Amino acid sequence: MTPMSLRILKALAVGGVTSLVLGACGGGGGGNTNTGLASNQTLTFPILGDFGTLDPAIADAETDTEISQNMFDGLVKFDNNLNVVPDLATAVPTPSADGLTYIFKLRSDVTFSNSDKFTSKDVLYSWNRAAAMQGAYATNLSGIDGYSTVAKNTVSGSALEALLEKNDPSVTMSGLTAPDPYTVQVKLSSPAGWFLTAIGLEGTTGYIVDENAVKQNFDNWWSNPATAIGTGPFKMTAYTPKQSADFAAVANWWGSPKPTLTKVHLDISVNDASTAITKYEQGGYDIVGYGGYSNLPVADVLRIKGTSSESSQLILHPKVRTYWASFNMVSDSSRLAKGPFTLDQGQSAHDLRLAFDLAVDKAKLVQTVCQGIVCTQATGGLIPPSLIGYMGDNNDPLAKYDPAQAKTLLNSADPNHTKTANLTYTYDPENALNKPTAEFLQSQWQDNLGVHVNIAPVSHSQFIQARLKGAYVLSRDGWQADYNHPQDWFDNLWGSAVGCPDSGCTTGYTTPAYDALLKKADSEPLDAAKADYAQLNQMLINDVVYIPLYYSVGAFLIKPYVKGAGTNAFFDHYWNEIQIMSH
Amino acid sequence: MFTRGTLIYIGQRLILILLAVVGVSSLVFLAIHRLPGSALFSEHLHGQQFQLLLHHYGLDKPLWQQYLNFIIGMLHGNLGESLVNRGVAITPIVVREMSVSAEVGLFALIFTIGLGMLLGIVAAVRQNTWVDYVLSTTSVIGYSMPNFVIATFLILIFAVWMDNFTQHTFYFQIGWSGRYGTIGEIWLPAFALGFPYASIVARLTRASMLEVIRQDYIRTARAKGVREIVIMVRHALPNALIPVITILGPLVIGIITGGVVIENIFGIPGLGKEFATSILNRDYNIVVGVFTGYAVLVGLANLGVDLLYVVIDPRIRY
Repeated sequence: MTPMSLRILKALAVGGVTSLVLGACGGGGGGNTNTGLASNQTLTFPILGDFGTLDPAIADAETDTEISQNMFDGLVKFDNNLNVVPDLATAVPTPSADGLTYIFKLRSDVTFSNSDKFTSKDVLYSWNRAAAMQGAYATNLSGIDGYSTVAKNTVSGSALEALLEKNDPSVTMSGLTAPDPYTVQVKLSSPAGWFLTAIGLEGTTGYIVDENAVKQNFDNWWSNPATAIGTGPFKMTAYTPKQSADFAAVANWWGSPKPTLTKVHLDISVNDASTAITKYEQGGYDIVGYGGYSNLPVADVLRIKGTSSESSQLILHPKVRTYWASFNMVSDSSRLAKGPFTLDQGQSAHDLRLAFDLAVDKAKLVQTVCQGIVCTQATGGLIPPSLIGYMGDNNDPLAKYDPAQAKTLLNSADPNHTKTANLTYTYDPENALNKPTAEFLQSQWQDNLGVHVNIAPVSHSQFIQARLKGAYVLSRDGWQADYNHPQDWFDNLWGSAVGCPDSGCTTGYTTPAYDALLKKADSEPLDAAKADYAQLNQMLINDVVYIPLYYSVGAFLIKPYVKGAGTNAFFDHYWNEIQIMSH
Repeated sequence: MFTRGTLIYIGQRLILILLAVVGVSSLVFLAIHRLPGSALFSEHLHGQQFQLLLHHYGLDKPLWQQYLNFIIGMLHGNLGESLVNRGVAITPIVVREMSVSAEVGLFALIFTIGLGMLLGIVAAVRQNTWVDYVLSTTSVIGYSMPNFVIATFLILIFAVWMDNFTQHTFYFQIGWSGRYGTIGEIWLPAFALGFPYASIVARLTRASMLEVIRQDYIRTARAKGVREIVIMVRHALPNALIPVITILGPLVIGIITGGVVIENIFGIPGLGKEFATSILNRDYNIVVGVFTGYAVLVGLANLGVDLLYVVIDPRIRY
């Protein structure tokens, strides 16, 4: 080959690579922060998985509700301090003396984003529809008289729409009426102190949809910008499933504060948190952690915490999720797990459960698994701090670590270690903390009790299904609060109300005393019910139903120029409170 | 360019591809429904509510009936609705993701062939010099390293270090904008995907070129005073390409399936990213759709490679 031809080849190689690199690179943001608003009011953040639905009637995942709370409104909602405040209603209603009737006066200045007027008819349609569709949060409406009839509905799609249009009794809750266009009267079947908090749960069954929009495509209206209509400050303008979604501020929105952001862009294409953080650090995102993805990897959080230029952008906030380990506590033909911890085995099983609890050094667990950052030790009962029902720091005796007593209890309950042979702790590895937690528990039981417990990962979907059927002797457990009321915990996890022992129940735990006290507590106004709910938690403690592990802490990255963004224990701050400052 | 015989061959191959697609989809359909777990089951949604949802999606019917409905739907171009993205039709998603994966794959193929041949030719021409040694070593590194390792290193260098080093002025920005992305977003994942295969092509091209440039007709051309660049490009390269084309089929399949890892690392909304998440989510319909998309892509890519023979070697006729 001649020198000339070699030069041509070299030039091609160098030129090609250079042009590719140049073509790839973009300029970053930057500049000085000042007090003025930026000219571009577009907020961009990733959600690490698409939303399942934005239809409040069937919303299930946290991502769904974090987004839809900005498109839809309820009659009441939670403010950022978790108080129930009026939303589409003019005031939070006071129940009647017997606790059965609520009268909501509605705002008359509200319109949907397609300019349809909002009236009481929309409330009746939305709530009856949600009850009839039986989504994950349909039971938030279960206090309303006639719910049990509507809940039996099996009709779906356009056929259900037809029934709703003609107010068919099979899909109309008798306790829900509209005396006039701006009044809604709700009659409960029995007093329910939790009713207002349940219908205020953001983006779910208490939220209002527009019948004119919904009936255009009953099951899929929410994914089409033309029909994804709500009364909220933002409306969907584009949605490409699994890739991106765009929202724009509604012009002349009725509420306040008026949105400053003009556009919100969600990137759905990145599903790895570390990749999202890298893009955030490049200036590609304004926030990471919004939309239900605040469980950022511990390693990244540690790195950012140790980086002076970024540490101030890291926000760690306690979230409303508690993790614990559960025992199978009932042995019957429906629950396959059996095991040595069941209630029918009396005191020895109780001592075994307590031994397994006291053998775990929970403070060390938090340091080992969470590096002391992304979770805190659960010392105040099942309900985490900042929620009603929290028992107070160090008030849960099950949070103690006492290996000596644990060993003593084990030796008296299972002197030959026959009962505790071949035990397995099952967990779902999708949450990055679950595997190290399982390994930590295994080592603690080995070191402090001399008991070898196998650990078994099972994929999340399969795990939840099997756990609720009572398939595991020992398993990872936890609950994320839906709303700020203890009923959310004690109704949904234990007792016959949720289906225990044989249906939809991790532990199988139910006792007549628990059921009776729960029924009483649920019927009382919140202030009166607090003591009863505390007593319910005490019953669980007395029977050693759980091994408390930790409360979760959410990690968020927010650029300094994003004003108003943040979180409370439940949800992201609303988008209409956010401003992009000059930067 | 294509004779009547070639067109008949293409028609036959398309029928075979269709049969393969139906076969693959059916196998995946039956297999995925045997997996434990459910996309619809959650801590909040079980019992009667769960049964209603199963009924809504027809998942309470016998498997043979579900399978029959699936086949009828697929033959009408309807892969059903996502179970996770409730009510969203799958076919448009799969078609879009397939086009994204094909786009990334195509760019990776350009790297594979372009870079691989370039390195191979230079190494052959500069045999036993430091250039040859450097390029050969690079090739060995290239095909010895898994693409996810290469991808991670590239992100570290171009997205993290360069970003820090140049103070946000000159770096690779992770992500994907619009339906088809931008050249700036594609080149690095395409390189990560194509580089291991480019190394293979480079070694093959080098060996092939070394054999060809020692042939009598090349010596004759030199003796006649033909310029070296003309000899290489016009006389040596086409003959050296035949072995490269031969392995292109497996390489294309490797590139397509390699997208599963690369798309997840770079956050590219293609079939590869969907592949992993849909299985974990037990989103049956999407899983079947993704495999169907892959079957179509692989089938068409193989057909395209086979047709390249006709273009490269006039002696080959179907």
